[in-house]
Amino acid sequence: MAKKIVVDPIPRIEGHLRIEAKLNDSNVIEDAFSSGTMWRGIELILRGRDPRDAWAFAERICGVCTTVHALASVRCVEDALGITIPTNARIIRNLMNATQQTQDHLVHFYHLHALDWVDVVSALKADPQLASAIAQSISNWPKSSVGYFKDLQKKLIGFVDSGQLGIFTNGYWGHPAYKLPPEVNLIAVAHYLEALDFQKEIVKIQTIFGGKNPHPNYLVGGMACAIDPNSDTAINIERLAMIKKIIDETKTFIEQVYIPDLIAIAGYYKGWLYGGGLGNYLTYGDFPETSLSDFKTLLWPRGAILNKDLSTVIDVDPREASQITEEVSHSWYTYSKGDNKGLHPWQGETKPSYTGPKPPFEHLDTDKKYSWLKTPRWKNHPMEVGPLARVLVAYAKGDPMIKETVGMVLSKLQVGPEALFSTLGRTAARGIECLQTAGFMGRFYDQLIANIKTGDYRTFNSERWEPSTWPAECKGFGYTEAPRGALGHWIHIEKKLIKEYQIVVPSTWNASPRDSNGNAGAYEAALKGTPMHNPEQPLEIIRTVHSFDPCLACASHVFDMNGNEITTVKIV
Amino acid sequence: MHLPQRAFSLYQITMTEVKYNRINVLGLGNVLYGDEGFGVEAVKSFQASADYPDIVQCIDGGTQGIYLLDYLESCDALIVFDALIPLEYETGVYVYRNDELPGFIHRKMSSHQMGFSELIGIARLQGRMPLEIALIGVPPRNLDLGIGLSSENAALLPEAVMKAKTLVDEWLKAFQF
Repeated sequence: MAKKIVVDPIPRIEGHLRIEAKLNDSNVIEDAFSSGTMWRGIELILRGRDPRDAWAFAERICGVCTTVHALASVRCVEDALGITIPTNARIIRNLMNATQQTQDHLVHFYHLHALDWVDVVSALKADPQLASAIAQSISNWPKSSVGYFKDLQKKLIGFVDSGQLGIFTNGYWGHPAYKLPPEVNLIAVAHYLEALDFQKEIVKIQTIFGGKNPHPNYLVGGMACAIDPNSDTAINIERLAMIKKIIDETKTFIEQVYIPDLIAIAGYYKGWLYGGGLGNYLTYGDFPETSLSDFKTLLWPRGAILNKDLSTVIDVDPREASQITEEVSHSWYTYSKGDNKGLHPWQGETKPSYTGPKPPFEHLDTDKKYSWLKTPRWKNHPMEVGPLARVLVAYAKGDPMIKETVGMVLSKLQVGPEALFSTLGRTAARGIECLQTAGFMGRFYDQLIANIKTGDYRTFNSERWEPSTWPAECKGFGYTEAPRGALGHWIHIEKKLIKEYQIVVPSTWNASPRDSNGNAGAYEAALKGTPMHNPEQPLEIIRTVHSFDPCLACASHVFDMNGNEITTVKIV
Repeated sequence: MHLPQRAFSLYQITMTEVKYNRINVLGLGNVLYGDEGFGVEAVKSFQASADYPDIVQCIDGGTQGIYLLDYLESCDALIVFDALIPLEYETGVYVYRNDELPGFIHRKMSSHQMGFSELIGIARLQGRMPLEIALIGVPPRNLDLGIGLSSENAALLPEAVMKAKTLVDEWLKAFQF
């Protein structure tokens, strides 16, 4: 008898991401449906506002990715108004974006995703001596003594004994899909805690350039920070030295902790190569070394790959009406010219129309509309975006740096490039990208210093600041590669105000529902064919969904006094 | 109906040794969703309401989960303004202090689901909780898309700010900054 599992993360208020999976008799996922169960309507909030203020609202969309929405927003306004930003501003934005990416990947790996592979409870049984020997064999990271692991284990045991392992509640500890020996689990838990500490350092770069964090200041036309090597209040020599120190430490942490852990953990899971899914990958590219319109200088290149064919990278133009479209055949919206017709974001409409069941409900009617996410497609293809897409596009384009890093990771794991088309490959790609981007941080820093040394302190171009200098009507496109993937903001300015604003976020690509041709979205496709040990403990589903680093639960935040279970699992 | 109302002045501060010379006042929430933004509005009102010395730092934390860990772990005392669930709570200003605050790390779908309770769990595990922590919250009455608090929640702002000020004044006196 076929079963259906529902994994619903937040049953209390409005819910966010919900997965419904159909299993066959052998508990293999036959089909899966991904639903965003919360409406986000930022586009409507932006209408009628001053385009120069859009970034400040856009950066509130998301609980984590503030800086990337601010960046895409100022870029789309600058594109619309024809503003060129000063060199310093371009480099500072690159540096802030690279900072966000490395920090975000580190936090994702250790904080969200590691516990899908690492069994915290098993770490309590580890032999600290053996853990120390393993840690020292895989890395030069100094915190690896027997005493260090002994102390940590004692702390964990103390916590559990005092009944406080509550902080790690709802884990599927002891699940047969966990494959690591206790010692590797202990090492991973140690680094989980170290990474939490370390990420606090990285973010200081945002604070220095953005004036504050968590909501750094951006500015249409450049950056709001002043550069003056000799001033106490500006970006001066002292602050630059601090940035340099953080960059170096970040690189060391990624090289000596993240990458060795990734390889050590992946080594135990290389027999679990499920979760590949679509095989279609899309990037807009990012990190411009000249201007955003000069695609050849983007350090993360732009392109599309179809059907896992790494021999061909197809050109992408997100301004082209036939390339990027969003339809709403399975989404709770209506379009004036029919829900099956894909609209380019510049023609985009945001008219919510909920036709789903009244919550709380048992299951969704997936033949009809079943998600608050629209359905973005590239030339009608469903696409995966994110670190794996970026790494594959760069790899397929023959980028020498990425080829070397990918080659290193694959050879250490003794697998071929085809292993990248999997959940594990997605997770590995995030680490590979993090290492690469940490390298970019050093590169951007050197560029910034070199440019300041020429006497150029400019960070802001005020030429088109005044609305009197703007055209009567204009459209713009702003893009960035956010940690979770290609992010686009499309703006239409009329009479000095925002007429329409459309945002296509990475998770809308990845978590999209079916399109009118019946093509599954990236999560849906990735879950198909995955065998499950125990449907009541859907570790395999969560592992694959986490590997995309979903960004759906981001806009809401309340303090829950009860500690209710956040992820509910139901078999119906 | 069982109400989670706690007595406000049950606590006596006994520890006076400070480590960071800092009191953080943190507002949490999403200003795009009505009363979700209560914490952010409250910290703004707090900041505007008095001229505190530099050791009192006000932070608009938005909905940043894990990235706020530093603000929790690097202060001697902390006020957190936030919206509170369950929604069934009666309208009012609730204050929870120290051990009354739950700390847990959930299995979740997204790192964006991280609540402040989770940061408390981590800080406790690391042994880095501030000497004093108080959560001042109100149950939201409207979470629909749109900027601005409901009239019920907006009416509670002065009381929430006043409770925070009483605590901060108390801490400033009791701690040896």
